[in-house]
Amino acid sequence: MPVEKVLIAVLGSDRPGIVAAVSRVLSENECNIEDVSQTILQSEFAGVFMASLPKGLSMEALESRLQEHLKPMDLSVLIKPVRLSIRYEPPPSQPFVVTTIGPDRLGLVAGITEVMARFGVNITNLRAAFRGGTDPRRNVMIYEVDIPLHIDQQAFRKALRQRAQDLGLDLSLQHRDIFEAIHRV
Amino acid sequence: MLSDREILSTLEMLRSEHLDVRTVTLGISLFDCADSDVNAFCEKIRQKILRLAHDLVSVCDEVGDKYGIPVVNKRVAVSPLAVVGAAFGREELVKAAQALDDAAQIVRVDFIGGFSALVEKGFTNGDVSLMDAIPDALAKTQRVCASVNVASTKAGINMDAVHMMGQIIKRTADATADADGIGCAKLCVFANIPPDIPFMAGAYLGVGEPEAVINVGVSGPGVVRKAIDRARRSNPGLDLGQLAEVIKHTAFKVTRVGELIGREVARRLDIPFGVVDLSLAPTPNVGDSVGEIFQSLGLHSIGVPGSTAVLAMLNDAVKKGGAFASSYVGGLSGAFIPVSEDLNISEAARRGHLSLEKLEAMTSVCSVGLDMVALPGDTSAETLAAIIADEMAIGVINRKTTAARLIPVPGKKAGEKAYFGGLLGEATIIPVPNGELSTEFICLGGRIPAPVQSLNN
Repeated sequence: MPVEKVLIAVLGSDRPGIVAAVSRVLSENECNIEDVSQTILQSEFAGVFMASLPKGLSMEALESRLQEHLKPMDLSVLIKPVRLSIRYEPPPSQPFVVTTIGPDRLGLVAGITEVMARFGVNITNLRAAFRGGTDPRRNVMIYEVDIPLHIDQQAFRKALRQRAQDLGLDLSLQHRDIFEAIHRV
Repeated sequence: MLSDREILSTLEMLRSEHLDVRTVTLGISLFDCADSDVNAFCEKIRQKILRLAHDLVSVCDEVGDKYGIPVVNKRVAVSPLAVVGAAFGREELVKAAQALDDAAQIVRVDFIGGFSALVEKGFTNGDVSLMDAIPDALAKTQRVCASVNVASTKAGINMDAVHMMGQIIKRTADATADADGIGCAKLCVFANIPPDIPFMAGAYLGVGEPEAVINVGVSGPGVVRKAIDRARRSNPGLDLGQLAEVIKHTAFKVTRVGELIGREVARRLDIPFGVVDLSLAPTPNVGDSVGEIFQSLGLHSIGVPGSTAVLAMLNDAVKKGGAFASSYVGGLSGAFIPVSEDLNISEAARRGHLSLEKLEAMTSVCSVGLDMVALPGDTSAETLAAIIADEMAIGVINRKTTAARLIPVPGKKAGEKAYFGGLLGEATIIPVPNGELSTEFICLGGRIPAPVQSLNN
């Protein structure tokens, strides 16, 4: 089956011109950018681009053209085909926001996400909101998650709270609607 | 995607600023329970409350859990017992109060309101029996709350009822003398009582309300105060207009939370949603005080000159924010200044910054009135009635709700302390100057006519 879409990940030290370089190669090769997200973690750039492949252009050919332009800029590129047939179909679920606050240490995210994975809770967004300084109370992780309706909600809450307690974290679990209600008219 | 700022500020409101839904009150009509036999009547009201309120507490807890915002109090309000039980005498109405108390205990609500009569224009036999039953009913029950509306802008002030309430308050205090007259903390005298208040002791389900309804009372004095403190810290040049804006924004947020949670509770119980009552209702905890807001706005203490102006601004800003946040804002909506339930206000009374007269002046712009005010035990029924009459006049003339929840603490004098416990807190007894000089006026009785509305001043 011919590849119609690709996902391109670009990593490297942040500076002006990265998105311009990637999008120029894509545009010159008639690849339309359908979706894009970029973030900067500390000083590192990470961007993912979902693009369509025109007929007659192979994924391998696109990859080598990207490498050719981006390698000299010291950017790493990873490209993979997107197979629409093996898409994850999420079960009916409700959006929640989990926040953990507490001193940083090894394995916090692994510990929390293990419980989420065990209950089939999908993370839709994850970020650290460090607010500077050495105060452990200012060390915050924010997980936006979808909790399937069919799982035992009480058991999930209990397991999650227990895990947070074991990790020395203060955890809150709130339905997303509360944030929308308070902040958005 | 939610922004970090949105998430973190919500967490802050919840964790350190006491954001909560103060009360979810299930209103239940008892009109279809009327019966000429008191035992049958009691059984019917018990069954109806058990049926409708059975899941109230668990549903509130589940919804509170889902949103991470606790619903602190769950209450039931019923149709005014003086109407539903109009056929009964004093003893039978005390029995009905006990049935309400039993039902409230079984469904695990902390208060049940509606042992009430509406007598602003005159008494029925049922009203008189109910008022007569109040002292006993409040002494023999834990959870029942009583209220009597004695005045309205349309009817004027029923001064016979005012005098009677002075006597009933005295009897209620005596009947609960061993607990500093705590019965009086569950008894409110009103002018212009709204039929949809979720807050006690005034909550009842008025005529014209649905069969059952969920009303929500949100609060958040701590959230308002912290918002003011934060705003002033980051910009010390803010003036009162800008600070009113800060209060308005905060009231908006708090109201939205109440509406969201109230609607979900109503949906899960399959009961219509009524109103959000946005009132800054304090608790006797540090950081959850209306009095502290006065200090954040630059007054040394609540009660000093300027306090009425601050309260007027606060009340208005709260209403403006709430009115935009929800289409169904009702009840009292404003700021409560209960003396014993607010550590800071109680302290201001103890230090002498807050006198009875200043409290009364402030009630002309607050949402309720003289609330949880501990008075010397030897205050006469006529003096209590005169204080009530003043408070009612403020409500009647200003077309607003006012109330008096006065507690003449048996055996104690001004300066001593009264202890009510829990949410009701504790208060220093404040003096009533010139107390015994109003008797002749009160004994005149009759009805003070309704005011003319076209010549305002």
